[in-house]
Amino acid sequence: MLRYLKLYWYFVIQRFKILMEYRLNFFIGSISTVLFQGASLVALWAVLRQVPSIQGWTFEQILLIYGLLTLSKGINHLFADNLWVVGRDYIRPGQFDRFLVRPINPLFHLLADRICHDAIGDFIVGLSLVSYAMVQLQLPINLASIGFIILMVISGGIIFIALNLITAATSFWIMDSIAVTNVVFHTNEFAQYPLTFYHRSIGVLLTWLVPYGFASYYPASYLLGHEIGWMAWLAPLVALVCIMIAYKVWLLGLRNYGSTGS
Amino acid sequence: MDKLYYRLRIYRSVVGINIKEVLAYNFWFWSQIGAHVLLTIAYISFWKALYSERDTIAGLNMQQTLTYIILARIVMPLVQWGYTQEFGYWIREGTISSELLRPVDFQERIYIGHLTRTFISLAQQLIVVGSLALFVFKISLPTDPLVWLSFLISLLLGCSILFCFDWIFGCIAFYSTEVWGLQVVRGSVLLLFSGVLLPLTMLPTELQTIAKWLPFAQSVSVPVSILSGMTPLSELDSIWLQQLVWLGVMFMLSRLMFNFSVRKITVQGG
Repeated sequence: MLRYLKLYWYFVIQRFKILMEYRLNFFIGSISTVLFQGASLVALWAVLRQVPSIQGWTFEQILLIYGLLTLSKGINHLFADNLWVVGRDYIRPGQFDRFLVRPINPLFHLLADRICHDAIGDFIVGLSLVSYAMVQLQLPINLASIGFIILMVISGGIIFIALNLITAATSFWIMDSIAVTNVVFHTNEFAQYPLTFYHRSIGVLLTWLVPYGFASYYPASYLLGHEIGWMAWLAPLVALVCIMIAYKVWLLGLRNYGSTGS
Repeated sequence: MDKLYYRLRIYRSVVGINIKEVLAYNFWFWSQIGAHVLLTIAYISFWKALYSERDTIAGLNMQQTLTYIILARIVMPLVQWGYTQEFGYWIREGTISSELLRPVDFQERIYIGHLTRTFISLAQQLIVVGSLALFVFKISLPTDPLVWLSFLISLLLGCSILFCFDWIFGCIAFYSTEVWGLQVVRGSVLLLFSGVLLPLTMLPTELQTIAKWLPFAQSVSVPVSILSGMTPLSELDSIWLQQLVWLGVMFMLSRLMFNFSVRKITVQGG
């Protein structure tokens, strides 16, 4: 374990050396997510300034959901962005074999190979939204609530990583998984708003099949004092189950891996 | 006459190649459509929830807004990308030098290819998102052929305006050699000011003014408002006139800008 931490640190340092070679790109990457999300948020604000609330949800409450989801997404973006391109950049060109002949876990190597600094933008947006919403809504900001948020954001991040890991593993069979990941990943957009906005089936889907709801709607409901019972605390368990299943799928794919010849 | 025939023949193959290129990436295409449909469902549900407790927002009723939103979703993939990435590629790979040597006008050729892609994409979106609207959300699309024709003309003008704008914008890559940042700025501004996310009349007045002076609304908000019935057909004359003026100005600027900045190119190793 300690060895892996040391190795990870080493990878991070190397990555930063590369990034610092292209400082302008580093800066632009970091603010790119801020710009995109800023545009969507201004649009959301423009609509919601004309109405007091939607089905009981105010603008600030929706921002809390949006912010929590963005933070979880940021964790996935920072640590596991390479899962998107495992097929295109590693398996297809035969680069993946490199990982298999080294004495460390191939998945660890894949993830550590590219830490994605663009996630800084996600953290800036997410943190600002959550703190703004908490203050505006006069929610208690204390050790308990902060601890709860951290726990939920980490669980949410793991759920994101787990789902991407499952879809990424399909590239062991179909070579390039970006198209698969793309579709599954985008279901997270539903979790930007309260799940009650949707048809019941979508709510069930986002809770039990692609459980992004645990990264946003459920923790936000708990913070707002809505009555959701034990669902508020389920996220860590769901995350654990997801990541275990995902890792099994990954290993299954790895056993199926036949390289690209020559 | 012969010369015209020669050009038409060239453009026929440009059209053909672009069709083939689009259809070659089947899997990726369906994935994009899938993600787009998911997002559309999320959007429509959001707007339905918004209207569940009130009849009008900013003077628009639910039917009007939903029709607008779904049509905007159909047009969005057509305008999303622009040409910054291509400009970056042409410069980085140095292919710009061979592109410029070909015996047809460079911008014209890319424009024909662009229109081909745009209208293939429109047909695909109409089929997929259109049936989603009709069968899942029960949103009635207009049936008057005259409205559709007006929409198509306005969309053609709008996409041409945007193309010329993207051409000007892409030329910045000759100086900056950095395209990702340009792309991000274009994308975010387009998101807010083109009307892909919401009818522009819902924006505060100051933002509406900005939207009016940017070319993005010409390719989304203007044609979609015609098709969704928000703009009465009686206003078509003035709308088309405005679009033609936009197009004239943008076209001239794009020619000037390209001819001026093309001298700046340094092809690496070329």
